[in-house]
Amino acid sequence: MSVSSFSRNIVSHLDSSPGTSAALFVSGLVGTLAFMSLMALILIYVERKVAAHFQCRLGPMRVGWHGILQSVADALKLILKEDIVPFSADKLMHATAPVFAVVAMLLTLIAIPLSSSLTLADSNIGVLYISAVSGLGVLGILLGGWSSNNKWSLIGAMRAGAQIISYELSATLSVLVIIMLSGSLKLSTIIQSQANGWWIWRAPGVGLIAFITFIISSTAEINRTPFDLAEGESELTAGFHTEYSGMRFAFFFLAEYLNLFVVSALGATLFLGGWMPLHIGDQQGLFSGFNQVMDLIPEFVWFMLKTASLIFLSMWFRWTFPRLRVDQLMKLEWKILMPIGFLNLVLAALMTFFGFFFFATGRGF
Amino acid sequence: MNTVIVERPGTGNLVSRFFYGFKSLLIGMRLTFKYLSHPSTVVTQQYPENRKSLKLADRVRAQLKFEIDGEGYHKCTACHICEQQCPNASIHVIERKPSATGKPELDTFIWRLDSCTFCNLCVMVCPYQVLKMDATFESSVYDQKLLAYNLSPYAGPTSGVLMKIEDPEARKKMIEPRGQYAGPTALSGYPLAGISKKQFPETTHQGGHL
Repeated sequence: MSVSSFSRNIVSHLDSSPGTSAALFVSGLVGTLAFMSLMALILIYVERKVAAHFQCRLGPMRVGWHGILQSVADALKLILKEDIVPFSADKLMHATAPVFAVVAMLLTLIAIPLSSSLTLADSNIGVLYISAVSGLGVLGILLGGWSSNNKWSLIGAMRAGAQIISYELSATLSVLVIIMLSGSLKLSTIIQSQANGWWIWRAPGVGLIAFITFIISSTAEINRTPFDLAEGESELTAGFHTEYSGMRFAFFFLAEYLNLFVVSALGATLFLGGWMPLHIGDQQGLFSGFNQVMDLIPEFVWFMLKTASLIFLSMWFRWTFPRLRVDQLMKLEWKILMPIGFLNLVLAALMTFFGFFFFATGRGF
Repeated sequence: MNTVIVERPGTGNLVSRFFYGFKSLLIGMRLTFKYLSHPSTVVTQQYPENRKSLKLADRVRAQLKFEIDGEGYHKCTACHICEQQCPNASIHVIERKPSATGKPELDTFIWRLDSCTFCNLCVMVCPYQVLKMDATFESSVYDQKLLAYNLSPYAGPTSGVLMKIEDPEARKKMIEPRGQYAGPTALSGYPLAGISKKQFPETTHQGGHL
């Protein structure tokens, strides 16, 4: 599915007249790109600051107040930098790889509902779509490692490939739990199903286990520490993007940080209710006053707060945990996470069938 | 001798290892969160902005200095032990024998910062604790000649000998002041190994921070 045809599909859902569709398409594209660039700049700055303070350092302090313009300066540097392509590299593949990484990230980004009204593509197969196109990212990594014609790049890319494909299973198993509980693949329906409470606590035990599995496997999928074997500095210099510089490197960097955003946003959407405020029970229940107070906070703010806390959790992991060995990585997935995931799925199925979760209205959702 | 066998934590069956691992991860996260939430744990110093309030460890070795007491006297007897111990001949102790006493005393103490490896041997072997390593680290200058200089402020006997004499005027007669580049230094025209004889026109005796 190409970007344009997909975008046309989105737009046709919204409005059928061609003039408005084109305007919507352009504004959506511009909005997404602007959101993407801004988000990447903020995320990189925050990561550097948070990382520094986790390690008793100060981080960027020189460019602007407390280094606030550091990532802008870095972006300018990367844009102006010479783009070096290795002599024996496969030139075409070398140029395409970063594009794959960014496009895969961008395609997942458009399906994330930022609030009830701010959704670019609310497809009825949203979850399936996200897990499908996010798999494209590994193609960019593999291509980049292969075309660089460098053994470290290739080893890094192969590790990344093995890792992403393995952990995709656990991630999908944990997502399946939520799909089963909410009875839908559509992201907006999944969020609506959490109007009485978030799945992380509404499905006792099962939701929490699925959430932890999701956090671990999605950290592995986006190649972040403790699962950053693909670019382990001490072993592979920089892994698959060793031979990249300038804008192409910036593309990989951008994709890496926005993948973090996408994964955290997806986690927030599935387990923490997305843009849905914190509700306990329905509006007539015991906690209706509490629910009304929670409704005062705008949906977008709720979404951003949840996503930000998951991003912070990921950064916290990154700057605390040591890197795993390759065999430990595979053992964790195939011997521990996957059996737990399957067991959890069975439990979730029983729970859904008997309606054994908080605020269950009849069978299923 | 009894051997004490301590079981490694986190061994045993899979379940106990699993929970041990989980717990240890949480302990690590608690520690790093403490660093994040307490900005006072930051060790980074904003040099050169905080040049005035820079905190350096006592162990920093950046310059060799003489211990000078309140009167301006030192305890060096010119025994040459530091000179003998110096691994690359960065120290030259120049002594003199005044006709009045006939006993050798220190004239100038030439230290070459440019060849010194800051191994601290001279400080350790000094029998009278005359030498110390100082944390003044901004030592860069434009001419190598400025890096071989005299540490002793005067030529004369030790503070012990001087303080036996009550009259300050009599003490002053026993010592002669020595400048920073006095004695056989490159700036005074002495050939020193490794220092070019070429004189840069911009080089002056006042140049450098020393």
